[in-house]
Amino acid sequence: MAEKLLEVRSLTTGFAAGQGLVKAAEGVTISIDRGQTICLVGESGSGKSVTSLSIMRLVEFAGGMISEGSIRLGGEELTTKSQKEMSRIRGNKMAMIFQEPMSALNPVFSVGEQIAESIRLHQRTNAAEARRRAVDMLRLVGIPDPHIRAKQYPHELSGGMCQRVVIAIALACSPDLLIADEPTTALDVTVQAQILDLLRSLQRDLGMSILLITHDMGVAAQMADRIAVMYAGVIVEDGPAQDLFEHPAHPYTMGLLRSVPSMDGEREESLYTIPGTVPSLHQLPQGCRFHPRCQSAMARCAVESPPLEGVGPDHKTACWLYDNSAGSKEVLSK
Amino acid sequence: MTEYLIRRLVQSAVVMFLITVLTFGLIHSAPGGPTKVFLSPGLSQQAAKVQAEHLGLDRPIPEQYLKWVGGLLRGDLGYTFKNHLPVGDILWPTVGHTMVLMGAAWLLSLLIAIPWGVYNSTKEYGWSDQTASFISYIGFAMPTFWFGILLQELFALKLDWLPLSDMWSLDKEGQIGDLLLHLVLPVSVLTLGFLAGYVKYARTSMLEVLQQDYIRTARAKGIHEVRVVYRHGLRNALIPIITIIGLDLPILVGGATLTENVFNWPGMGRLFVEMALAREYSVLMAITLVTAFMVILGNLIADLLYALVDPRVQLGRKGGSTA
Amino acid sequence: MNLTIRERQPEPAAEPGWKGGANISGLTVSRRPPGMWRNGASKFIRNPYAVAGLVVLVCFIILALLARVIAPYDPAAIDLLGANLPAGAGNHWLGTDELGRDILSRLLVSGQVSLLIGFSVAFASVLIGTMVGAVSGYFGGWIDVCFMRLVDVMNAVPLLFLNILILALFGSKFSYMIIVLALTSWMGVARLVRGTFLQLREMQYVEAARAIGVSNTGIIVRHLLRNSTVPIIVTATLMVGGAILSESALSYLGLGIQAPDTSWGVMLSNAQEFMLIDPLQALYPGLCILLVVLAVNFVGDGIRDALDPRKQTHPSRKGVGIWRRNSSKFEV
Repeated sequence: MAEKLLEVRSLTTGFAAGQGLVKAAEGVTISIDRGQTICLVGESGSGKSVTSLSIMRLVEFAGGMISEGSIRLGGEELTTKSQKEMSRIRGNKMAMIFQEPMSALNPVFSVGEQIAESIRLHQRTNAAEARRRAVDMLRLVGIPDPHIRAKQYPHELSGGMCQRVVIAIALACSPDLLIADEPTTALDVTVQAQILDLLRSLQRDLGMSILLITHDMGVAAQMADRIAVMYAGVIVEDGPAQDLFEHPAHPYTMGLLRSVPSMDGEREESLYTIPGTVPSLHQLPQGCRFHPRCQSAMARCAVESPPLEGVGPDHKTACWLYDNSAGSKEVLSK
Repeated sequence: MTEYLIRRLVQSAVVMFLITVLTFGLIHSAPGGPTKVFLSPGLSQQAAKVQAEHLGLDRPIPEQYLKWVGGLLRGDLGYTFKNHLPVGDILWPTVGHTMVLMGAAWLLSLLIAIPWGVYNSTKEYGWSDQTASFISYIGFAMPTFWFGILLQELFALKLDWLPLSDMWSLDKEGQIGDLLLHLVLPVSVLTLGFLAGYVKYARTSMLEVLQQDYIRTARAKGIHEVRVVYRHGLRNALIPIITIIGLDLPILVGGATLTENVFNWPGMGRLFVEMALAREYSVLMAITLVTAFMVILGNLIADLLYALVDPRVQLGRKGGSTA
Repeated sequence: MNLTIRERQPEPAAEPGWKGGANISGLTVSRRPPGMWRNGASKFIRNPYAVAGLVVLVCFIILALLARVIAPYDPAAIDLLGANLPAGAGNHWLGTDELGRDILSRLLVSGQVSLLIGFSVAFASVLIGTMVGAVSGYFGGWIDVCFMRLVDVMNAVPLLFLNILILALFGSKFSYMIIVLALTSWMGVARLVRGTFLQLREMQYVEAARAIGVSNTGIIVRHLLRNSTVPIIVTATLMVGGAILSESALSYLGLGIQAPDTSWGVMLSNAQEFMLIDPLQALYPGLCILLVVLAVNFVGDGIRDALDPRKQTHPSRKGVGIWRRNSSKFEV
């Protein structure tokens, strides 16, 4: 088995709301091998962004807090580090890119400065060297005329260009782990494909691991070695991409895959939608969080929440359908 | 940029023109008209007529206005009625004195307020933030001149540490050290007044900036929080602060008027009150115009400062967004 | 491939920059939820500053209303033999001034003047500002341009200068003071109302009202004005304090209230002349102004916080702190 780079174990992150607290992610467990790409898939509000911000320990700046669990990057425990110690890891060993490239760049600094800043910070180079490397980075992420572009400001670049710059900032110090939170959502479809291609080729060249957050099963299918599906703050299924697409185990995953339009399907066939809506984090249902929308729900689902357990080689799901005492897979293929 | 600048200049010129109309109109709508206002009381009918002719008051009003504006454009602010002194000779020195006082207080308050407000935005509801908020409330609710009187009573009369009023001591005119001593109290009064607003603005503006995505990017880069705030945040936060400071200019001049009167500072504000009580309308008109000019100029400078701070301001793009 | 789970659309990129600028009021137009006033009242009561402000303000109003009744002396009665008495001497609780007039009685009567001016100026300028703003925002076009240029002009001249100029020209009468102060402080309300109207003008129910034949005036009054009530009330409250401060400043400069009438500003002006003899004389009127204005401002802020719909679900840092302390317990 390949070397584990990131291991997240039963991570719980919450936000204070009024008197109580709302757990935006609960008991999240994922691990990433070196050089691997993992996709965290889910609808908005499913806790996938909170999970990624927690791994970066940036969630604290948004008013959230990690209350339980451990995060290990290359064997180093991150949850116990101070923010000062974290700032030596962030941007250096792990980096993050965000959804809105236009607003993710500081409008008052040239893009070259913003890349060079990261290099100077972590690698103790002088200003001229950092600037030269910044131009190299711009070339690396496929920006033409990098010398000219480096002197320009974010408002002078297109959305796709900005996202390339954001990637350049993130990769400036060759991190081991890149967390990409919906990196293509705000972009045009053609630009989306270019950015994904770029991420893949950079991953090949630099040998980093990627944690890709997306709501788009298509993106996940293109990019992922492994997929973890989140629903209402918990991971409901986690497995190798191929296996998960071919043999989805959790009813929610199945619903997600059925709601994807297929090329060979009948035109007239209306798109499948999962009935109901995502529950609010303030009032989560008892038991399995998906049971009110689940077509295979059993009496037990409304009472106890299912643990994440293996259903195949390296493939886990949190569903009572696979509990030994409750029957086998037959139930499902009705 | 040039196009934008020209548009702003034209706009300013229009406002200036309207202000001349307003001032002139006010004087001429006073009960009894300008003859009553301008002429010394107790003149015989004959003498009044002569004096009115001499001052051009018998002419039609539009003609008088044009003559007055024409004089203004040539730098001729008119003459006082009492001793027939050129208004400029009285006015210009006081402008300088006011600038010294206001400039010092304004600079000091910005130097304190911006770092303080920014610090408070990072420690919301901490003791420093609470203190600032307390000072803001007091500063907004307190008559500045009253605070000035209290300071005079304490530091000048009771403790005798600082001079009570005026700009120089009688025998030390022109000495910098003496001027600085005289500045301490009025500058303290004005600074407190300015500070009340500026700390709040700086804090609010910074809080808004700290929620932006690029701040998150900066943190994700591993930049230390202090640097995130002061390098990445501050420059963005300054943009709205500059606007507010530009808009606040007239309030500053108004505040200075009271302080000048409390401390007998020989500035424009004191001259204005003195001349108002003496009914020297040509001086009042001149001061109104000069301050309006300064305010408009200040707003223009604030606009130009944007371009320095914010690379997005180019080719008049900003013009559309400020309605 | 376009395989997308139902997810919110990417929001249009936030308009870069210009978050602050002239639009500081950050006014948001929202349809008021039912029970907003009751909800607001209960929030207001839970705000200790606002309640304290209200109590102080009500006390001052009662004292002002009863000033002539409870004042121990005639505030204008001159007693040269009992001049400059210290506090407590000869039945004068706060002493007497340089003409032997009882300071407490003068404070009470001055309060009457200051509060009357404060409230009537606020009322009048809200009236002017609302009318200008409503007409300007509703009709737009050249009317709007004219009014906005007027606002520009007013904002370019220090208002204190304008006040002094007008009072010097027309004379310092009590009624003039109110008119002058109102005429020079309506701009904020006008801008606010105009802003609300510009936003509302586009909304559908205005179209609907127009379609069923409601007249212009009808639309303005019934539909639009109702939506800007909250910010107007807040501004008006804060304006009371501003007017009291302006009155005291003008009176202090000798252009406001004239002897034998009195106000806190007049008293301060007097006190400064005699501060060598009796420094405490300057303390009382200033303190009164400070207290009243502070109280009014607290009430204004309290109303804003209570009725501002945006303030409701915002988790406070304090809340996070409490939660952190609590959660660290079960972590161990």
